[in-house]
Amino acid sequence: MSCAHIPLTGRNLSDDFAFLTHILPGINTCKGSVSAMQFLSHCTSLAQQLPAGVHVINLCNNRYRFLVAFCAVILRNQTNLLPPNKNVATQIRLASLYDDCYLLHDGDTDIASDIRALNMTDLVLDISTTFDVSPTIPAEHLAAISFTSGSTGDSKPNKKYWHSLKVSSDINYRHMIPENTSVLHQVATVPAQHMWGLETSIFLPLHHNVCIADSRPFYPEDILLHLRLLPQPRMLVTTPVHLRSLVEGFSERTISDVRPHVDLILCATSPLLPVLAKSAEAFFTGELREVYGCSEVGSMAVRHTANDTVWRLFDDIAFNYQPDGVVVTAEHLAESTLLQDKIERCDTHHFVLKGRSEDMIDIAGKRGSLVEINQVLLSFDGLQDGLVFFPKNQPGLGRLAAIVTLKTGVTKNDVKQYFRQHVDNAFVPRPIIVVDELPREETGKLSNSTIMNIYSHRKISV
Amino acid sequence: MAIQSSEELEVAKLLVDVLNLEDITAEEVDPEEMLFGDGLGLDSIDALEIALAISQKYGVQMKAEDESTREAFATLKSLTIFIFASKA
Repeated sequence: MSCAHIPLTGRNLSDDFAFLTHILPGINTCKGSVSAMQFLSHCTSLAQQLPAGVHVINLCNNRYRFLVAFCAVILRNQTNLLPPNKNVATQIRLASLYDDCYLLHDGDTDIASDIRALNMTDLVLDISTTFDVSPTIPAEHLAAISFTSGSTGDSKPNKKYWHSLKVSSDINYRHMIPENTSVLHQVATVPAQHMWGLETSIFLPLHHNVCIADSRPFYPEDILLHLRLLPQPRMLVTTPVHLRSLVEGFSERTISDVRPHVDLILCATSPLLPVLAKSAEAFFTGELREVYGCSEVGSMAVRHTANDTVWRLFDDIAFNYQPDGVVVTAEHLAESTLLQDKIERCDTHHFVLKGRSEDMIDIAGKRGSLVEINQVLLSFDGLQDGLVFFPKNQPGLGRLAAIVTLKTGVTKNDVKQYFRQHVDNAFVPRPIIVVDELPREETGKLSNSTIMNIYSHRKISV
Repeated sequence: MAIQSSEELEVAKLLVDVLNLEDITAEEVDPEEMLFGDGLGLDSIDALEIALAISQKYGVQMKAEDESTREAFATLKSLTIFIFASKA
């Protein structure tokens, strides 16, 4: 492995590689397809213009710019840092943790003022260099460090080596994409910086028959519009949250003419209800495959959720069932990973998910640890006593709730501000219930029924 | 705080309802306070929930491509103007 090289892209260089829905200054002069050859030209042109450095915080919003930036960084033997969010505080923390770091962005993001930064939209990238073959990358190059979307700022880094990303992508392609000889045109609603977005919207186009749209549509109308812009066959990469807003937002309207046919929908990040999977398949008249994965390993299993409860484990990934949980190993992964989910084995290749371990919570696909969030609350100076919990059976997506007693002069708003500074917005408790005293038992414990009693009898809007 | 119009109160009730905003009543939402960030502190998950509720109740679709959607999400006042203008 030590001297092996792997091509930057495995695509035929005349293939449609990306589809630009916008004019991108410095990149293209008209909307539409970009070939793999033109993509390589953009990458090598940017690589020549990058400053010296070791780590690059890749903040690009436009997916094509992200992809060109990602590969140019690798061509320069540098390493992409994929921030879990775009907050300035996160940029500052990453720059303090990683040597010789700079920011690469495309203008539409708040940028930490005291870190070196390069705005890609200020550069002109040559589109006309020709190649006989793709440039290659050393197999053991540390291409990227991704971060587990944790509840607090200190998310866990995961090292992604070039050969490992390539092998994962080959495995993913075999299990995610039905056998298909023509190029699938992809719209993705997830950020490229997250593992799910990286695997599907960056690595599938790099190595397989997928042409990626440069956009990241958010609202249902935008998603449909961008799908309609693409030639067929099409695929959509998304999450249960986006799917729900799509299917429920349109189902009552008779607008069959605006619904694009989508051949394949890939959905991941949080559990998908079978009824929503069925509605999505009817809506798009295509097949929906739900994918199971985690930031450390990437994608691991797939199922046809409309019909199946059982997951098919990917070939070349092994589940080792141990007393404290399931440990994942694979030849292409440097480390083994203990999963945070309860898993029941059916046979070597199949399993059923039985829910998360008690500590793990999932809010619209963002995963966090209740223990960590409680530690944040306990570190608040104005607190006398309190806890954060996840009430069951909430309408909608569900949020965390907190019950607190506060020192004199401290307000609920102070607690809220403290949370906003220290945890991802999705984990800021709502509501925060202020009480005179927490009815702890003699052992100091708070029973579940006591907590739920306070929660369900809370005064609405004090 | 600025006085709410009847349309603004109607939209405020929708927000409080779909987002389970328990620390504030519909009547208390200041039409000119920022909905996201430091004001009500809503996030992108809320934005999708609001967009869904608005499409179901008013048949109005939000589009991030339109500058008008971004501006609409600034305050209760701008959101209300957006909904009732698009609906008409």
